[in-house]
Formats: sequence, structure tokens, C-alpha cells
Amino acid sequence: MSLPVYVTAATVLCAGADSWRGLAARIAAGAVLSPSTQLQASHGLVWAAEIKDIPAKWDVEPRMRKWMSYPARLAAMVLNQLCHESNWSSEQRAAAALFLGVGASGCPISELTQMLKASIQQQQFELTRFGGAGLAACSPLLAFQLMNNFSLCHGAILTGLAGPNSAFFSRGTGTVAALAEAYWLVASGQSELAIAGGADSALHPVTWSQLVRDSWVACGLVPGEGAAVLALSPERQRALARLERVQFASALAIQSGLTEFLAAFGPVDPQRDWLVLAPWGPPARQLLASFSHTFAAERQVDISAALAETLAAAPALAVAVALDLLASRAQRVWVASAGIDGGVGLVLLSAG
Amino acid sequence: MQRVVITGVGAVSAFGVGINALWDGLSAGQSRVAAIRNFDVSAFQTQVGAEVPVAAINSAWISDHLPTSSPLLAQLEQAQQRGLWRDRKTAFAVLAAAEAWLMAGCGMAEREAGLSLALGLEQAFLEDFAPGFTEHGIHWQCPPKPQVAQAIRYRSEVDLGAQWLTERLQLRGPNVVNVSACAAGGLAIAQAAAWIERGQATIMLCGGADSMLNPFGLGGMSRLGAPSPRNQADACRPFDRRRDGLVIGEGAAVLVLESEQRALKRGAPILARLKGYGSSQDAYNPSVPHPDGGAAQRAMQQALLHAAVLPQQIGYINAHGTGTVLNDLAEARAIRRLFGPVAEQPWLSSIKGAVGHLMAASGAIELAASLLAFQRRILPGTAHHQMLDPQCEIRILAEPTAAESAYVLSNSFGFGGQNVALVVGAA
Repeated sequence: MSLPVYVTAATVLCAGADSWRGLAARIAAGAVLSPSTQLQASHGLVWAAEIKDIPAKWDVEPRMRKWMSYPARLAAMVLNQLCHESNWSSEQRAAAALFLGVGASGCPISELTQMLKASIQQQQFELTRFGGAGLAACSPLLAFQLMNNFSLCHGAILTGLAGPNSAFFSRGTGTVAALAEAYWLVASGQSELAIAGGADSALHPVTWSQLVRDSWVACGLVPGEGAAVLALSPERQRALARLERVQFASALAIQSGLTEFLAAFGPVDPQRDWLVLAPWGPPARQLLASFSHTFAAERQVDISAALAETLAAAPALAVAVALDLLASRAQRVWVASAGIDGGVGLVLLSAG
Repeated sequence: MQRVVITGVGAVSAFGVGINALWDGLSAGQSRVAAIRNFDVSAFQTQVGAEVPVAAINSAWISDHLPTSSPLLAQLEQAQQRGLWRDRKTAFAVLAAAEAWLMAGCGMAEREAGLSLALGLEQAFLEDFAPGFTEHGIHWQCPPKPQVAQAIRYRSEVDLGAQWLTERLQLRGPNVVNVSACAAGGLAIAQAAAWIERGQATIMLCGGADSMLNPFGLGGMSRLGAPSPRNQADACRPFDRRRDGLVIGEGAAVLVLESEQRALKRGAPILARLKGYGSSQDAYNPSVPHPDGGAAQRAMQQALLHAAVLPQQIGYINAHGTGTVLNDLAEARAIRRLFGPVAEQPWLSSIKGAVGHLMAASGAIELAASLLAFQRRILPGTAHHQMLDPQCEIRILAEPTAAESAYVLSNSFGFGGQNVALVVGAA
């Protein structure tokens, strides 16, 4: 059995955008990205795209925030907004599947600093001090703030999404895997509603320091943050787009045949097809270059150039941009993402 | 839909390296909960765990435990220079994968395999923050101490073990890292099975690895109040009326899943069949399961439905059974509703009193343990269980027992409300 799969709702939040509608046009006009925060890199200050304006009505209650890492808060907000806009019944939510691409763990730096302050003496970390005063200085909820899966769980708790679910670590392809799983459940008839997406922040100091250390920043990566979720369903009535195909492949598989991987999707029509790219830095952009060259230059959108690098959220944000293209001017959009792990994801959408 | 079989299994646990070490220990009803030795816990509230018997992990220890023909032997020393073994679970994943790969008779032809691995939280290295830490806070760009490998500083990377395994074994199939906490292991195995069933892969390496027996992991869990406050060997007493918390364990279990067609064609040993899986979300509360166990029940029901197995056909349940008051009760309620009165229920046990709670790897190690039912016709017992909580209406096995089982159900119910159940059948 293979049912048609439609994207019936989407919610996004990133620097400069809290809606997917009009996003493609704004990107084309250069009207989205306005890096607003400076981060200290090993080679100087670097601009980052930080979310400055969280819509007040979206945000979770203060008492819940203390349980959450920042990416978990972003995910909870977009999931809650998605459910609110879609007006699903409690039964629909209880049966809905949920798959999320998530990033590294996110300990609030204030907690970490308090802990270290009580544990370090004369620039030496002392285990005995940590076991006593160091732990006492941090919140009992620290573990829940850290756990990556809580980017999924807090959103599920807030919204009542209680069906099959999984949190995949994502350097790009994990988020596409989440989308692929949601796609499969709907296409096979196992789910009538499946939600997939990603949430992450490259601005977390530990993540940021790793990006600097690994020279991603030196080769032009602009750190960003965001979350995007999409609802998939066989319901054509509410379709924003038809999700034709989702596939991903590891770096090694791509090494032996990017062309073969891409060919499985069928030919590109350069006269009408659009391409949305979500490459993680220059190496990934290079990897996708042979594919992007098959599209007309004026029919391409590179979201990392416009929205900065949003890590696990990037492929889902790219699909949201594709939705806007389909709503305004495109008949078919390919979304190609390439992660830091060298894996590649490809999503094909057509006008609903 | 392709049928899925298990052709290889490897494990690292507090019983030692190797699946036989695990099976031998469980068959003998032993427990390895003891004082934590790999770092000084004298100042910590929680001082016991189920530790893999190795203090400091290095390439020499790993190579000593790898088969001489293993492709994973290459570049161990380079990995050490990069600091990979600072994160204990990375080494556990490598050893478990090596054993499973060898047992399944995998070689060059199996490099089309995919990887679906559950991994726990990154390991934090708090000592790395010390240089440059002043009253103004953390100096992120301060150069590290010379002996700290640049590659692994402040914290390890989530998918370190997966990256290394993929590179060393040259795996070309679908690749994903599941980070669904205590449900991750079961979900990773379910994902691998799903891909094979759908024809998206013919062979998968899957399972999980975790270790929270490090200062930050142990400290965070202690702060949460999850571990038993008693630093005793019997700290974890699943379903016992005196239970008061979990014991943290560490280790890994990796399985080779294949389509039956592929396994038969290449003459691979078939250990058991992965018949079904189901998952759900409590959507209730971050720290406690839903008291009625409804979502846990749904996960089990889905697994049974997928497997086309009736509850009365299940011969053994490997429970999540953490030894916490609320989790055990919720799970027991779900089992009671699904399987009926105690007399009608299959035998049930939890191995967490023996090997601890392996967190992201728990579902994997427990499925590996459940294979005892088929390999040696022994059902593991529940170490340290003495007095059943009367509120837990389950048919619990305290001691290992000889028994035949056609089907086994293995449960994992995680922090945050993620639930998964797996049904495994005899070969």
C-alpha cells in the first residue's frame, strides 16, 4: 500500500522569521537575515543569527522553561503552535506520530558556571568539591535540561502527541531520517497524522566552541538557531504540498555514488523545478554542487546563506521554504541537505 | 514485507566483555552492583553502580578484547590520540559491534549494512573547563592543557561511536543515531527492523551504548533523586515492596539484524526472529510515567499486533523494571491490564538489579539478555527481588529458571515518556 502523503501544516521559528509564508520571497529579497549577536571566535568576533523576538503567545510558561534546554523550548513552541493552528482533536493528537531531529545536549551556561565555580580552585577541577558543593550549586532539574530527547518530549507533553515517536541525533541527515519515518508511516497507512522536524541552536557556547575548533566558522559558517515542524497526512483537502519522496544516505554511500542516489528521484526539469539547499558549510555546498548545477541559478535558494546554520533544524526549515515556493510560484521543489557528517538528504515536493 | 532475523549479538556489561559473560552471569543469578571504581566517588551521594570492569579505557584494553581478525582493530591508537576513548561508551559500542559482526559471519559483503545505534548523552569533561576559569566565568577560547586531545574537549560528540563504527566497517546503508534516552536502545532496534521489513536495507547493525558512570552523569542523576539512596549491592530491587530507586549501569549491546532471505542465502546463523515492535509517548510529565501505564500498554499492544502474537503466546517478559517506585508500578499496571490476572501472565523479570540501568543502552542489553530464553532455554531472574509489592500484580521470577519460550516481550520506558516494546520469537 502506498498512500499519497501531504504536508498539511508547518510552523517555523528562526532568526528573522516566525512563519513560512512569504519566507522564500523574503530570502530572495535579502530581507531575512540580520545577524544580531556577536560571538567570540578564536580569530575574532563573528556574527550569529540569534532569535531575538519570540512571539509572546508562543512561549512556554516560565515554570516550564526551567525544565528545558533552549532547543527544547524552541521545539515545544513550534509544536504547540502547529497543534494550535491545525485544530486537531485530542484523539488525533493522541494517535499522532512524532519524529524529531535534535542536536547536542544543552545545559544552561548559568548552571554550568555555578557548578564549576564551586568545583574549581586555582584553575584545578576538584572531584571532591564537585561531588559536594558543585552538585549542590546546580538545579535538581539539570538532567532534564540536558537530555537531547527532551526536545521531543516537552513538546509532546505540552501538546498531547502520544503516538509512535523517536528522537534522532542530527548533523543534518538525522532530521531527514525523522521526515522519512513520518512519511513512511503515513504512506503505509499506519498513521493518519505524523509530525516531523528539527530544533537546534549553534549558539550554545559548547556547540559553538566545537564549531570553532573544527574550523567550520573559519570557513564561513554563520551560526544560527531555529525549529521547524511539519505535519504529514493523507488528507488532500488541507494539503500545502504533496511530499513525493524522502531519502537520505550516509557519507560513504554518497562517496560511491551521489549521482546514483539522486537519479533514483528521477530527472530534474530545469525549466520548472526549484531547488532549496541546506548545506552545512562550504564542504557540503561543494558536495551538492553537481546537483545544484542542474537547476537554473534563479530557481535556487540556499537557506544557510539566508537563515544561517541552524544545524538539526536546517532540513526542516528548508522544507518550509519549499512550501512557500510551492504556494507562490513553483510546481515542484527539491530540497537537498548535506550535513557535517557528509550524509545527504533529498526531499521532493510538488504543489498539492 | 521482509521477515527479520537476528544473526549476531555482542555485549559489554558489568559482567564483562562478551555476550557469554552476560548470559553466564544472568544464568547464575549474579549481580554486579558494587562500589564505583573508575573515579573517586567519595564525595558523591551515589557511590554504587554496575560498572564494566575496567578503570581506564585505552586502545590496549580494546585491542585485547577484539577478535584478531576484526576490522575494528585498525587505527585504535589514532583514535586514542584523538581522545575517543575518553568517552567510555564509545569503546563499549566498538567491542559489542565487533562481537556481533563476528558472530554473524559478516565480512566485506556485509558493508552494505546500515547502522541504527542508540547512544546516551555526551560525556562532559568538567576538568577541561578549569584552565582559564576565573571569577568572570568560562574562557571558551583558552587553550587546552597539552594532554587533552583537541578533538574531544568539554564534551564528547553525541555520535562519536556511530561515526567510528561507520568509518571502520565502511557501512553504506541507512545510518541513524537514536537519542531517546531509556527507550533509545529498543527504538534503535525497532528502526533497524523497520528498514529491513520495508526493503530499505537487508542487513543492519543496531543496538545501544551508554555510560553515565562519570562525574557529570552520576552527579546529574543523583541530583535528580533517581538512584537508590542506599549504597549497597542490593540498591536496585525491581518490583520489590522496599524498592527505592535505580542503579546506574554501563555497557553496550549490538545485534545484527538481517532479512531472513539474506541470512539463509549466506548461511548466517539465525539466533531468533525480531517479530514486532511498538512505540508510544506518555505525553504526561517530564519526570514520572503516567500512573496508569496506558501508553506503556499501547506500546506493548502494538508490538504484539505487529508480531501477530497473542498475549497468551508470550512466554517471558523482560520488564523495564528500574526499581523506582513509580515506574515499576506503572509498568505492572500495564502488564496486568494486557495479560490478565497473575496466574494467566507469562513469567517476568528485570535484569537491572544485576547489570544496572544502562539508560540509552538498556533496551539493547535487555533484548540481548532475553535471547537467553532461546539460546539456553533459561529465563533470567530479578536480582535482589525478595518481597513483591502487592500493588504490582505480576508473575515475577526472582531466580533464573529453565523454561521454554516461543516468544519474548522486552520493554523500555524512558524519561520523558518515550515507550517501546519488542517481540522476539524463537528461530
